[in-house]
Formats: sequence, C-alpha cells, structure tokens
Amino acid sequence: MGTDDRSPSLQMVRCAQCGRVDTAMRPVCAGCLSSDLQPVSVPARGVVASYTTIRRAPTQFRDRQPYDIVVVDLDAGPRVTGRLSADSAPASIGARVHAVHVDHADTVFTLDEQP
Amino acid sequence: MREVAIVGIGSTPFGRHAGTPIEQLGVRAAAEALLDAGIDRARIGAVYLGNFISGPLNGKEVLAGIVADQLGLPNVPCTKVEGACASGGIAFRHAWMAIASGQCDAALVVGVETMTHANTAQTTAALNCAMDNEHDGPSGLTFPGLFGLAWRIHAERHGTTRAQVSAVVRKNKRNGLLNPLAQMGADLSDDQIAASASICDPLQLYDCCPTSDGAAALVLVAKPLAREATGIPVDVLATVQTRGASRIAGHPDLCSFDATVSAAQRAYAMAGVTAADIDLVELNDCFSIAEIIDSEDLGLAPRGQGAIWAAEGRTAVGGQVAINPSGGLLAKGHPVGATGVGQLYEVVRQLRGTHANQVKGAEIGMTHNLGGTGVACTVSILRRSV
Repeated sequence: MGTDDRSPSLQMVRCAQCGRVDTAMRPVCAGCLSSDLQPVSVPARGVVASYTTIRRAPTQFRDRQPYDIVVVDLDAGPRVTGRLSADSAPASIGARVHAVHVDHADTVFTLDEQP
Repeated sequence: MREVAIVGIGSTPFGRHAGTPIEQLGVRAAAEALLDAGIDRARIGAVYLGNFISGPLNGKEVLAGIVADQLGLPNVPCTKVEGACASGGIAFRHAWMAIASGQCDAALVVGVETMTHANTAQTTAALNCAMDNEHDGPSGLTFPGLFGLAWRIHAERHGTTRAQVSAVVRKNKRNGLLNPLAQMGADLSDDQIAASASICDPLQLYDCCPTSDGAAALVLVAKPLAREATGIPVDVLATVQTRGASRIAGHPDLCSFDATVSAAQRAYAMAGVTAADIDLVELNDCFSIAEIIDSEDLGLAPRGQGAIWAAEGRTAVGGQVAINPSGGLLAKGHPVGATGVGQLYEVVRQLRGTHANQVKGAEIGMTHNLGGTGVACTVSILRRSV
C-alpha cells in the first residue's frame, strides 16, 4: 500500500525567528523565547527506535490493553511517542512505520508493508 | 563553601503502615535521626522534606511544617520539595546548600510517602503525574513502559538476556532478606522470575519495585559542629542535581539518562574521586533494567556490560562494587518521596560499619536518585569521617 498520500501528517511548530522545529504547540520557542510560532505539517513516517507492550494500563486505557507503544524517529527529524495499531504487523527496532490516525498527542502507527 | 557532615539517621521500615497518617511516619523517622545525632533541637535551622504525592493520595500538603511542629522544632524555614522519585535526594541537597552556604549550622532532612492505602487506579494516576501528560500521557505509555523501551534497546545493542537481567533481581531480593527495613526480600530462582506475570514486555512482575509506605530522615551539620554530636559522622563529599529531558521522545538515547551521566561526572569532580573509588552505591532500581542502565551511566560498569557484571556477581556484596546492598527499590521498597533519603540512610550505616548487610571496609559510598522520565537526578558521594 502506498503510504504517501493517505498517511496523515503530524502537526508541529516552527519558530519564525530562529527556525527551530518542535513537536508540539508551546507558548514560546525553547531556542530563542520568541512567541512567533507557526504550525507546520510533518509527514508521519519514520523508523521504530523502540517498542513495548503495555499489559497493565492506566484506567483510561484499560479497555484497549494490551497495546503496543512505539517511539518513532520521523524522517523529518523529531522523535515522537505513539501507539501501534492493533492490526499492525509486530514491531521491531528499525522497522519502518507510518501513522494511520492522529488525534492531539495520540498518534497511531502501523508497520509499512514489506515490498 | 563549608564542609558538611551527616550526624544523625532514622528510618521506619519500608512496607505497609496501614492506618498511620503520613506526617506521623515522617515524625518517627525524624525523631530517631535527632536522637541519634544527639544535638540540641534548637540548633536545627532549616527543614527540607521530600515528598511526591501526599496531595493526591492523602489530601495533605505543607508536610515539612506539620512534621517540624510535631517535633517541637524552632520557628525555622520548613520546605517541602518535589521531584517525583528524586524528591528525597533533592531535599538532601537543599539542606546541604543551606549549611554549606552558611545560612544555618544544622538542618533536618525528611523523606516520606504513603501509598499502600490507595487502590491501584489511584496510585497509577498519581504516579503518572511524574510524566509529561501533554506529550507522553496520551499514548498510554506507563513508567514500566519507559523501561520496557529501554530494555529492548539494551538487548538489541548488547545481546542482554532474560537470565542476565534476572541476576539483578536475584541479587537485590537476596540483599533485601538481610535488611530489617526491607519490604520484599526473597530467595528467587531464575524460573520463578521468568514465570512471573508479564507487566510490560519484556518486564515481568519481579522486575518491578513494589508500592510502599515509609519515611527516612537525616541530620546534617557544619563539619566543626560534628564534634558536638553523639552520632558517628559521615562526610558529604559531593551532592549534585541535574535535569534531563522532560518527555520520552526528548531523550536522544532511550537506553541512557543524560541527567545521570552529567550528575555523576560533576559529583566525581566535586568529590575528587573516580568511579573506581566507590565501595558501594544505592541506585534507583525502580525496575531491574534501570539498575543495569544506571550502573553504566554512573561509570561503575563499562557501557553495555551492566547486565554481564550483575550476572558475574561483580555487583554483589563482596564483589567489585556493591550495588544496592540494601535490596534497592526492588526489595527494600519504593515509598517514592522517602527513597532518596532512605538511600542516604543506608550508605551512612555502611560507612559507619553498622549495616546488617555490611560491605567490608566500606569507605566511600554513593547514592543515585532519578525522578520522572529522567527529568530530575541527584547523585551524592559520602565518605567515612577520619
């Protein structure tokens, strides 16, 4: 499956003063303290840095346990924490993933299909 | 800066203290420390109390003032400090700063937490306050999860096995059997550990520290005043506090905590010693894999060999460097805000030569206290007074 068109993008912020990109909206840039931060879309694709399976979840996530957490190094640079879709192939370090769902800081990834 | 010594120590057992109000646990440990020090209470010029979640779990704050009031201490500044699991270590460093800078000549440090009265959902929610809940919380990540991520990387890079990690669990649980203050000492087999419930792959039940109640306390004085004390003094050679990334994805390496690395480097420089001089260390083994990573970050074991060192017995009492002879968080327990002060209590006992699981001839000891997802860290180095 082609991931480029249908894969959602991640909303990040770029500082209009110093150009620093950060993963989430914040009052000021951590690089230069400017408050002139612009939203920027980043392709939600990257590589698994590590992963784990949560079998004892916090109360609000108990109905979905067990579930996999992945830390992803995005091709665009930043590292993000997300979940792995329940119907994804099993994760491994270095596997390529793309997002299938993005809601606030809850990003759900799935493994790219092997060619 | 003036030299500072620890002249009094006190601690409740770590474990369950059902029905005991949190401030009373703190008062018990503090009274023991004051009596051990044997100095006039009127000399105490400041109180620092480490606590993490007395608000959400007990509906109580201003604990430092409440404890000081019940101890009949003078009208001095009483401050509660918070840095998740590092709360106790931070309280200690603040007391050290107050004396070293000449603000006062003696100070009381208390660490206290009660957790076992709450149900699992309440405790989990309270503990998750130590996470950046705007960035890491929404994914459903937990603290065991953070260390599951780290374990996977350690295994990928260094070939770390279940049996090697189990060596840490077995050692700390055995050490706990010898410590009268420990909550969960045990003599475990590899099979028992490997058969325990999966919590967060690859972490299993015995890889995780228990939920605990407990308190510990210290009396610190300016070095010249140590002569007036009846408690055997131990010198504070260094105490350092650092900050690391506040969210998981902010860590450049998920298998190392830069707050620990920088705190250790600065502490060694401040104390004028090297890792090879450390006879024993009480470090933040909230999970088995954490001890392996911490021992590498502190420079005690070579990078990637923390698990091998544990499996070869080099970190046992009688080995190259004794790691967590108290049983650590895994076996002694982890009343979060008390843990850092409890670690210092253990090291002082070792350096006094009066520990139930004594490291023979111990002269220099270290504590390492890491909070949240590595956002706060303290490292302290103590030496037997000569």
